[in-house]
Amino acid sequence: MKFTRKLFTSTLALAALSTLLPAQAQDTVKVGVLHSLSGTMAISETSLRDVLLFTFDEINAKGGVLGKKIEPVVVDGASNWPLFAEKAKQLLEQDKVAVTFGCWTSVSRKSVLPVFESNKGLLFYPVQYEGEEMSPNIIYTAEAVGQQATPAVDYLLEKGYKKFYLLGSDYVYPQTTNLVLLEYLLSKGVPLENIGGGFKKDESGKIISAGKYTPFGHTDYQQIVSEIKQYAAGGDTCVVSTLNGDTNVPFFKEYAAAGLTAETCPVVSFSISEDEFRGLPAKQLVGQLGCWTYFQSIKSPANEKFIADFQAWLAKSDVPGIVKEGRVTCSPMVLSYVGVYLWKAAVEKAGTFEVEKVIAELEKGISFDGPGGTVTSQKNHHVTKNVFIGETKADGQFKILKTYDNVFGEPFLKGTFKSK
Amino acid sequence: MTHSLLVRPIAKKEWTFTAIIAFFFIVVMPLLNSFGFISDFTINLWGKYLCYAMLAISVDLLWGYTGLLSLGQALFFSLGGYMMGMYLMRMIGDMGQYHKDMPDFLVFLGWEQLPTFWKPFSSFPFAMVMVLVVPGLVAYVFGWLAFRSRVRGVYFSILTQALTYGASLMFFRNDMLMGGNNGFTDFRFILGFDIRSPETKRGLFIVTAMILTVTFVGLRCLTRSRFGLVQQAVRDSENRVLFSGYSSPNFKLFIFVLSSLIGSVGGALYVPQVGIINPSEMTTDNSLEAVVWTAVGGRGTLIGPIVGAVSVNALKSWATRAYPDLWLIILGGMFIIVVLFMPKGIVGIPGMVRDWLAKRKRQKEPMEDAAIKKTEEEAA
Amino acid sequence: MNKAWLHFVLIACVGCLGFARAQDAKSARQIIAEAAVLSDDSDSQVKLVQSLTGLGDPETEPLLLSWKEGGIYLVPGADGKKVAVTLAGDPDAAKKETAIRLDIKEPLKDAAGASVRVSPTSAELAETDSSIRRAMKAVTDLSKLAAPNAKDRLMAISQLGMERDVSKLPILEGRLKVETDGQVKRAVQEAIALTQLRSPDAAVRLLGCKALEEIHPLSAKDALVGIIRDSEKAGDKPLLEAAKKALSAVESHRTVVNFFGTIFRGFSLGSVLLVVAIGLAITFGLMGVINMAHGELIAVGAYTTYVVQCIFAEGLVLSPFGMQMSLPGMNTTGWVYEMYFVIALPMAFIMAALVGLALERGVIRFLYRRPLESLLATWGVSLVLQQIFRLVFGSNNVQVNSPSWLSDNWTINDVIFGWNRVFVIGFAVLIVIGTWALLSKTPLGLLIRAVMQNRNMAACLGVRTERVNMLTFGFGSGLAGLAGAFLSQIGNVGPSLGQSYIVDAFMTVVVGGVGSLIGTVASALGIGVIDQSLQQILGNPVLGKILVLGAIILFLQWRPAGLFATKTRSLES
Repeated sequence: MKFTRKLFTSTLALAALSTLLPAQAQDTVKVGVLHSLSGTMAISETSLRDVLLFTFDEINAKGGVLGKKIEPVVVDGASNWPLFAEKAKQLLEQDKVAVTFGCWTSVSRKSVLPVFESNKGLLFYPVQYEGEEMSPNIIYTAEAVGQQATPAVDYLLEKGYKKFYLLGSDYVYPQTTNLVLLEYLLSKGVPLENIGGGFKKDESGKIISAGKYTPFGHTDYQQIVSEIKQYAAGGDTCVVSTLNGDTNVPFFKEYAAAGLTAETCPVVSFSISEDEFRGLPAKQLVGQLGCWTYFQSIKSPANEKFIADFQAWLAKSDVPGIVKEGRVTCSPMVLSYVGVYLWKAAVEKAGTFEVEKVIAELEKGISFDGPGGTVTSQKNHHVTKNVFIGETKADGQFKILKTYDNVFGEPFLKGTFKSK
Repeated sequence: MTHSLLVRPIAKKEWTFTAIIAFFFIVVMPLLNSFGFISDFTINLWGKYLCYAMLAISVDLLWGYTGLLSLGQALFFSLGGYMMGMYLMRMIGDMGQYHKDMPDFLVFLGWEQLPTFWKPFSSFPFAMVMVLVVPGLVAYVFGWLAFRSRVRGVYFSILTQALTYGASLMFFRNDMLMGGNNGFTDFRFILGFDIRSPETKRGLFIVTAMILTVTFVGLRCLTRSRFGLVQQAVRDSENRVLFSGYSSPNFKLFIFVLSSLIGSVGGALYVPQVGIINPSEMTTDNSLEAVVWTAVGGRGTLIGPIVGAVSVNALKSWATRAYPDLWLIILGGMFIIVVLFMPKGIVGIPGMVRDWLAKRKRQKEPMEDAAIKKTEEEAA
Repeated sequence: MNKAWLHFVLIACVGCLGFARAQDAKSARQIIAEAAVLSDDSDSQVKLVQSLTGLGDPETEPLLLSWKEGGIYLVPGADGKKVAVTLAGDPDAAKKETAIRLDIKEPLKDAAGASVRVSPTSAELAETDSSIRRAMKAVTDLSKLAAPNAKDRLMAISQLGMERDVSKLPILEGRLKVETDGQVKRAVQEAIALTQLRSPDAAVRLLGCKALEEIHPLSAKDALVGIIRDSEKAGDKPLLEAAKKALSAVESHRTVVNFFGTIFRGFSLGSVLLVVAIGLAITFGLMGVINMAHGELIAVGAYTTYVVQCIFAEGLVLSPFGMQMSLPGMNTTGWVYEMYFVIALPMAFIMAALVGLALERGVIRFLYRRPLESLLATWGVSLVLQQIFRLVFGSNNVQVNSPSWLSDNWTINDVIFGWNRVFVIGFAVLIVIGTWALLSKTPLGLLIRAVMQNRNMAACLGVRTERVNMLTFGFGSGLAGLAGAFLSQIGNVGPSLGQSYIVDAFMTVVVGGVGSLIGTVASALGIGVIDQSLQQILGNPVLGKILVLGAIILFLQWRPAGLFATKTRSLES
């Protein structure tokens, strides 16, 4: 009953809004939000929509951008990649948005990339990715491999770990990360036999794939865990995991049941942030490592204000279907937030919403003091930021163990490390 | 001789109707688009819908006309798409991220040279032949094995489901050298035309509409032929067909291969229009969604799947924007309602209304019960 | 008598080790208090904790444990600097307790000289991280070298073995002489041999290799590879030979371990498949209904487990369709909480059975004669259910914690037997026996079989076929719920949980032969063992799965009716 009434009122509100819009059109600027709100990726992407809407409200409350209020156009990519392209076209060609914030998976970004390039649009992409890409129409606020994987390995080497087992889901991000890590570890003097998970070589004997890969939605990690246990029997071993969200649960449950712990053989995961943690068995993950450019547990006034404001916004938000309980903040969310502010600063510097001029300003370098510290846009469309190594706690937060300041974002890392 | 007596010839009225609709899609819509009355976005969207209509027709040919519910049609659709995609990937030339004359993901995987099986795909005619050969061959081998050992009904569905699942796992693997999870994207040229320009999109739309029309007319003739009659007899009672001396496995095999080809051509047209093909298209769920389009439009008719594919997808485009939370419930609900209450779909609505009116008219006639029972049996 | 002497010797040994350092005479209490405060410098913390080794202070272990489990707090002292304290005394109205200084065991005084009172919820906790806990583990394990409990001794010895510190050889050798427990003795030998490999004396290294050849532990591989490399360089032939022999012994042991491990893993995977498929074997195999929503019934079971778990803990707030719904919690802890799973099992059965009944009454009963259409309608139902899960529980996965009696393992001769895996095998056996008994030993089972074999005939004989259909479907759905409850212990609980198992479940039933319970059992175990063996051989989980699917498709061409075909005279089966 309540539900139908809500539907009815929201339809009414929509109708009312659409009659009001033309009158307001002069004072607003349309901004696209392109995330999956249904389907398999909704798990992660809905949070990004929430934080974006929060950021727009925050900016609007302070007068908007160049005196114009931000008017979000939210569309659902439905975890369907061709649909992402369709929705991107819709945003650019029909709604004529000034900028779009969106995408989570690499494949969704790849699917909209041609659309943004041919329509001369601007996309801010906020989620850790494999690099090897630099579109003139995308700003990657995301962590590049050098802002996540290599600092994590540095930390592990520093702690005296000697053997590294590479494990990931079978898609581009883990494959690339592991190849880069292989080169990096070799360059640090780790011998090849101390890198586990297996290699694949081409006819000439060159390694084209390193590590163990499991498909999406894999549920049975018995064999792999027993392999790790044997591999780690000699001690000083750690696992570098690029498993994607869902498969972490069966993996860690099996890991714990086999008697492996963070003390005997720690796992550093690149895809588990505070948000993913909500669905994981916390007890079995305590002490495992994570590496991001933001953690909710960062102690700084900027971060505390950000978290408090976001929670306050959530409490009074009337976005349909929004989850209000137990919300956390995590790196992709903060990078979305930072992206909006970088765009705002660039627009204000350029004095216009024109995409080309805004990009030119961003390339010159724009800084913003965000919840995770200062971020600065670079000429190569990536962002310099701080990198944190953290350890999971039973309450789903991370204890920060180490900070690397102002790490440069470099998308093309593969082939840059020379082995000894 | 008997054939012409038994089968109602295709009425002139119907030809005219088909011609008008086809004319609208092939000529009127593109014209309106070039004068700016229809946006490029809409044309592109409708191009996509028409490709889905091809997929739906291929499902209907099997399910509606032959009683075989294949959950593997999305596989053939994507295979066609992949073949076209391979050609389009070659046409990117050295304009990729690495500026080598090779698809980016291969450079990335450390290949110095193009793998042998990729080489011929630089040729458009070769790729087009492959669009037909690869899915056709898969369908032929699978169908030959399945129909020979008399796999029927739900077993056929479950086996095609396994086939699709296995194939998608295979394509997800990066070692397959078909782009893994990301598949193919970032296309630039088709036959020398810039794939991103509105003119090319309009051209692709026209080609799609034309091929759909040809398919429609061709199948219209086929289903009305003697062959089509046997086909429908197989659906209704395969054993009787078998005992009458027809080799029903061969009929089924032919239809299965034919429908895989129709699906594949649909996929090949789909890829340049949406700009991406990857293994997540290759799922049982996508096949089942195509079954819903067919069911909603009206199974066992040829216009049904087209109506269904276009209307359900238009609804999807709208609902994923207006009520993203409810889309799956709408889709699922549609399934249940159509199966339980509207076995003939949208196309059947006029008939249902007519029956209902007739029933009311004869309300007090004693024959009523028997009539209802009869229609129920037919539905079953 | 004998045992007391043994303890004495060992404590003396450990004591001696620490004696050298005892001069600076800080107690464990002081060191830990000093370490706990340095929360920003984990390296110094680790060093301090390591310095506890061999101190022989009986307080070491309880204090470290209390630190690890969050019993130590950091409170600003009189000079504003943080002081490590424990809390004691009765909490007052504000839930505050007296802070006791950790280093001197006296109440902490503020600037005015009054004792400081803080509340445990607001005070800053002295945290640990994994490197500190590693150091702690090393310290406490070592002190357990003479513990009466064999498991503790084992931990201590493997810790020593891991360190491979030549100076500790005498302690290990001393232990070896007095150790009585077979397993521990083996571990001591292993630790000695591994440590010997580090010895500067080539003869001792050779001894180590020979010992390793005999006991062939899996952990020796890296060390042996190192020895082989070094001895090749040094041209030490006998050592090279011995190390190679030892390595091949280790490798052949690994083959044996992997073989038995694979078989066990195969059975456990097979049991998971069986548990997932057995409900389907009823609804599809016996009733001929293609229930594509079977996966969602499994998810109903898993979510029920989640809800029961929450009720045992702090309760749960759900907000489906904009409504607020809160379930009160019982706030249990300890073993009572751990028993939630025992309650969850029947609840999962009941909930899934109820959903199944509703599904049967609402949709399926109209479609008994139209199996293909039951496939379509139930797929629609599955979409709707998935979205309902999302709306009720959120699109995120939910957390289901495994009770501790399901998250440990037995390791016998290096083969891991996870308790959850042993449990699933037992669980599957029970379910199969229960189902078989119900179908063939009860009057209801008789009716079920009658109706399933010939619905019309049964109806003519006066059986209420409608009700039997309903109950059978409910039973099959309930079994799916049980599967869900179990799956929540080994994997994700989320809206798409069912999707990951549905293809496998159908394959299992079809391969086994529709309508045959024994066939389902055989095919589930067969698929499980083959899948795990392929994974082990190919070292690639995806390839194995593809091959299994291919094999199933080919198998069904050969035997379309599955392993155990039901014989029937009817033409249209």
